[in-house]
Amino acid sequence: MNIKNTVLELLEEICQDDVVKENLDIELFEEGLLDSFGTVSLLVGIEEKLGIHVGISEFDREQWSTPNKIITILENWA
Amino acid sequence: MELYTQIKKWAQLKPDCVAIFSDGHYLTYREIEEYSNALSVFISEKMKGSDSPVIVYGHMEPLMIVCFLASVKSGHAYIPIDASIPEERVKKIIDDSGAKLFLSPSSVPASLKWQDQLFIMDNAEIEDTIALYRGAETSGDKFVKGEQNFYIIYTSGSTGNPKGVQITYNNLASFVEWMVSDFRLKEHQRFLNQAPFSFDLSVMDLYPCLYLGGTLWTISKDLIANPKWLFQSLKESNIHVWTSTPSFVEMCLMDQQFSAEMLPHLETFLFCGEMLPNETARKLKARFPHAVIYNTYGPTETTVAVTSIEINEEILNEYPSLPVGTPKKDVEIFVVDENGNEVNEGEKGEIIITGKSVSKGYLHNEELTKKSFFLYHNQPAYKTGDVGYMKNGLLFCAGRLDFQIKLNGYRMELEEIEAQLRKLSLVESAVVVPIYKESKCQYLMAVVVPKKHDFEKEYQLTAYLKKELQQLLPAYMIPKKFVYVSSLPMTNNGKADRKKIANEVGV
Repeated sequence: MNIKNTVLELLEEICQDDVVKENLDIELFEEGLLDSFGTVSLLVGIEEKLGIHVGISEFDREQWSTPNKIITILENWA
Repeated sequence: MELYTQIKKWAQLKPDCVAIFSDGHYLTYREIEEYSNALSVFISEKMKGSDSPVIVYGHMEPLMIVCFLASVKSGHAYIPIDASIPEERVKKIIDDSGAKLFLSPSSVPASLKWQDQLFIMDNAEIEDTIALYRGAETSGDKFVKGEQNFYIIYTSGSTGNPKGVQITYNNLASFVEWMVSDFRLKEHQRFLNQAPFSFDLSVMDLYPCLYLGGTLWTISKDLIANPKWLFQSLKESNIHVWTSTPSFVEMCLMDQQFSAEMLPHLETFLFCGEMLPNETARKLKARFPHAVIYNTYGPTETTVAVTSIEINEEILNEYPSLPVGTPKKDVEIFVVDENGNEVNEGEKGEIIITGKSVSKGYLHNEELTKKSFFLYHNQPAYKTGDVGYMKNGLLFCAGRLDFQIKLNGYRMELEEIEAQLRKLSLVESAVVVPIYKESKCQYLMAVVVPKKHDFEKEYQLTAYLKKELQQLLPAYMIPKKFVYVSSLPMTNNGKADRKKIANEVGV
């Protein structure tokens, strides 16, 4: 499964904004695209679509701040 | 309610007990008592001859509580404004309320400093004043009491301007009395505070906590923004009483750690602000088998909440949509049809709340007050605009009559968002549509007819409009999705046809 496409699809659905596919370095939280409730949906989606379980307590906003960063983390998820 | 004497009592009996703890900062009962006494003397002097309310601006700084208490001890109502509220909106509240004193335990917004009519004090100035007036106190006959306003909370208004709900000492006293008698709360427990003080859900934990000599453990917006820190804080909290919106607890439930093992002392869950889904209550029961869950209901206009019910196995099994319960003893609830006649049990109608919890109305706004506040069976009454029905003596909520919605526990008027959207330079007209999933609003969609613009792509225009809106509205009111159309369909009487619009954009 392609992690990049899956994450971008999820982000587009959760943020309801195409910009996440256009600019993979956009600051999701600073730009107001993602909030805590969106984060929850994102983690649920990641578990459903990629089978990767990330506990919300493992979610660090600084490290998960852009589409590219999220993709990198998940691609290297052990 | 002897709120003042209760706090004074704890200051004497348990002087070093922590009253509020916030991100590593705290104040004890002795400190909140002494500091609020000192500051109240200053406020009395400064505001001599005026009965205008005092604005308290900040987030969850412990000094916020001192400012609230100092205001009411000097005979002035306070208006809590969260630091996340945009400056434009803060200015509207200043103008509407006629406030002359602005206390800011947080930093003071730059654009407010020019206001001549307003005396502004930042954190350092408040602390210096407290030090200067140390040991002084105002006499009890100055304290806010009876039918005087205790606090004024501004809430979204459909005209595009927020409106101030006036809550009197008697309103609050009746609420606190109910909280401390009907929810099995005990003295010296630790209470969670998740809601900003500008949202009256916070009143549900703040005043019962202070009345009972408890400790308030606050969860700031920075913690909520970073779940990793949030869980760290929860682990350290040792709380006994949880108060939040259902949305917030649903977020916490996402993590398996969130259980009785992590919060071994948690005994009581209190929910208010939006519908509590059966499934959420069930999950909580499984994770916290020994805790008691209460669902409550009430608009800001009737002082936080007026009905309650303990959600146990029987209730969970019997009602797929959970009831909000029965009214507190000094309140009565009626369900009426469009002609104002009471409907039969099981039939839907508008919920009318009467009795001691009902506010005297909106500050400086007789017109809006007259629309919703009236006398019913000779009791002060409020037309909630909420649709509900009674079944087996229990009240159930079933939506709204107007365009007010709840999103993640926040109450807002779609018309206010639309009014602000239409003011933007690149917007010709706009309608805001709530998007529902399983009868819960998930997000807002703005359907916009744009003016001529130079952006190449729609997402660039969206980013620009969102930036502009951020100056005017709190973040939680900004629509997530923007859709662009060339015109908006109208109904026969010239209003935007919301149903048709929602259909056309494929909702």
